[in-house]
Amino acid sequence: MNSRLFIRPAMTAGLLALLGLSGQALAHNPMCECKSVEDGQIRCTGGFSDGSGAPGVTLDVIGYDETILVPGKLGPDSSMTFKRPDAEFYVLFDAGPGHIVEIDQADIETP
Amino acid sequence: MSKTVTAQPPSTLSRLWHKWRFHINILLLLVPLGFMPKYFADASLFRGDSGLGERDVGTVQVGPWSLQLAELRNEGPRPDGPAGYMKSFNAALSDSSIDQVKAAYLRIGKPRSLRAAGVIFFGTPYRMGATLPIPERTRADAELWITLEGWDGSMHQASIPLSQASPATIAWLAQRGAKQ
Repeated sequence: MNSRLFIRPAMTAGLLALLGLSGQALAHNPMCECKSVEDGQIRCTGGFSDGSGAPGVTLDVIGYDETILVPGKLGPDSSMTFKRPDAEFYVLFDAGPGHIVEIDQADIETP
Repeated sequence: MSKTVTAQPPSTLSRLWHKWRFHINILLLLVPLGFMPKYFADASLFRGDSGLGERDVGTVQVGPWSLQLAELRNEGPRPDGPAGYMKSFNAALSDSSIDQVKAAYLRIGKPRSLRAAGVIFFGTPYRMGATLPIPERTRADAELWITLEGWDGSMHQASIPLSQASPATIAWLAQRGAKQ
């Protein structure tokens, strides 16, 4: 009998707790991660911070002199693999103007 | 033949609930009042009644154009999952620039190209917002670069020290320790 008396207060408290969780705004910022894989190749995976993937989004490998070394698009698994260029470079994940991620060669970990 | 029905004595918890439930519910109604100041402050901030943001940075001249910059929140960057830490800025183009500026971008460090000019501001030119990723290895002497792109194809850039744009972010970086 006692437990029934507390059903409603417990539900009210639960509802209040849920309301408190809804504060964080939902954003979908672009993100991209590159790492070295075998045979001097680099694999980059793109996506958005809401958990969605980025198949078909442009990913270019650009030299420090602004020449595009490897033009490309992410595959169906939101990733792309390319050979590490000899020249200095950075990776540009380009989901549209202002929706980009730059990854400098210094930030790509070598195994 | 006496039928005695022995009523079970109510438990202490039940007795207390029945005695105080009215007052407890009044207290529940008072709970939202505690959140009112924050609610009204936020409503005023997002409506623009309390200015462009919590902390005004000032007016920045970018070539022939200018814009007013403000931090949305006077606090360090907020985490956004695997995308890293984000800091929100608001901006308003000056009246004379509104018709000429097509896009505004924000980046820490000098952009390599217009394509990599950083995050784009969106919203009305009177009050637009951008959410800037703050790399963990950002240095305390980093500069915040503003790139404006005109409808005529021209591009102008200006920079201000990050310490001027957001002291809270500098404090946050110092607290996390320098990462190289």
